[in-house]
This record gives sequence, structure tokens and C-alpha cells, in this order.
Amino acid sequence: MTTLYVLDVPENVAVATVAEEDPAVTVGHRGDYFEITADGPIVIDRRATGCRHAVWYSCVAGVARDGRITQHDKNALRVDPV
Amino acid sequence: MSEQDHRVRGVDHVAFPTFDPAATVRFYRDVLGFPVVHSICAAGWGPENHPDFIHFFFDIGNGDRIAFFYYFGTPPEVGGPAGEKGDVHARFGADVPEYFVRSRHLAIHVDSEEDLLEYRRRLDASSWPVEMQIRHETIESIYTHDPNGYMFEITRALRPVLPQEDVDAELTVDALLDVVAEPEPTFGKLLARKAELIASRVPV
Repeated sequence: MTTLYVLDVPENVAVATVAEEDPAVTVGHRGDYFEITADGPIVIDRRATGCRHAVWYSCVAGVARDGRITQHDKNALRVDPV
Repeated sequence: MSEQDHRVRGVDHVAFPTFDPAATVRFYRDVLGFPVVHSICAAGWGPENHPDFIHFFFDIGNGDRIAFFYYFGTPPEVGGPAGEKGDVHARFGADVPEYFVRSRHLAIHVDSEEDLLEYRRRLDASSWPVEMQIRHETIESIYTHDPNGYMFEITRALRPVLPQEDVDAELTVDALLDVVAEPEPTFGKLLARKAELIASRVPV
């Protein structure tokens, strides 16, 4: 299981929306955070989100210990199960 | 969250040395239009051969002030040899990375794009034109260096700060304190600790 938290502010909504396009990924809420979960990897395409670098590189609020960021660059954010 | 009442009221003044008061007054008063609001003319005193000095203040809005010290008979070398980078107070070698040199700076707030562009216009017509104008998605800033080499930013918010951002900031700082209390803090460890704090403190 991988769990990624993203703060629910206007600039970050597209991050959650793009994540949810993968049927293996579930997007819920915990308070004002998007709680993005999957049994396997979570992969979010940066261009699909429309985020530019200031938001893109600061959009992650937390990654639970059963997952780890393995890619966070201009192309994608990827969280893999540990 | 702090339980103590929050009584302070912004910046009274922030102070820097200058070796070029003429250019400093041109920049802040004549170019930017910041009124001169206070000054202290003091004969040197004390045990440390303190030079005679002028301490002068400019209003930066909101009643807040930026102030300078000019010390008579005191060359810039009082602060050590000139640096390859930095300003008259913080002098750095050529090998010091730019992100570190730029990390300490003053940012002054404006309320609108119109106001930001007005200060851009004033600076661009001066000897200190805007070096960068950057829109960071939630803020937009202009940057230059003042005559003393101090990095100077004017910024506006593109949207108000939301309440959840304050909550998130508290979790960030608590996670940071936990991570730096352990050996070898990393960004990954901070995000893992913050995820735990979100899971334990934020209601579903």
C-alpha cells in the first residue's frame, strides 16, 4: 500500500485529479488533505496536471512509511511501495 | 499550536550598515518614494571605539521601517575584505552557492499587480533596474539589489493564504523538529513523519 498526502488548495487540485485517472488509485480526503492511495505505485504525470515548478515541487505534504518517492522531476511524481 | 497570545505588531525596523548613504537615499527615497521618517545623529561612545554615526530610517508601509547605519571615517574594509559575492555586510567567496547568498533578504508587500508594476516602473527607470520578475503561481515578485548589494524583493500574493495552509505549516514544523532531532535528517524522512502526523492528528 502506498499513501500520498497532498494539501487541498486550488493549485494542487489537478495533482489529485490526475492521480485519480489511474483506476488502481483511490483519492479520498483526510481533513483538508487529499489522501491518495494504491496497492502498488502512484504515478502522476506532471504535464497532465498543468503544474509549473514552484507548485509541482512543493505539492507533497506526506508519504506514509510503506511508500517512497522514487521519481519527482519535470516529468512525473512516482511513489512506490517499499 | 501556541497557546500564548500574539501581541506583536509587525516590523518596527530592520537595520543594515551602508558605506554609500547618497546612493542609499537615492534608491529608497528618490527612486522608490519611501519617506524618510526618523534619524539619529550620534557621537560615538562606549568602550569599543564606536565611530560617530547617522542612523536613518525609511517608511516601508504599515508604519514599518528599514534603517541604515552610516559610520563616519569607517571604510568598507571594517567588515573584512570585499567578497566575490554577497553585500557590504555579508561577504562571500565565489564558490558559495547562489541559493545560499540569496537566502537572506527583505521582501516588502504590495496589495496588487498595479502596485507591483508601479515599483517595477520606478526601478527600471533608475540605476537599479529589476533583475527578475517571477510569478511563483501563488505569489509574484520583483527583485533587484540595492546600492549596498542587499537583495530587495517586492511581492504580492496571487490569492489569500488559506486556513489549511496554516494547519499544514504547523504539521511541517512539528515534523521538522522530530526529524532534525535524529541523525541525518532528509526530506524523505520529513515527508514520512508528516504523513504520520496527518494520519494521527487530522480527522477523517
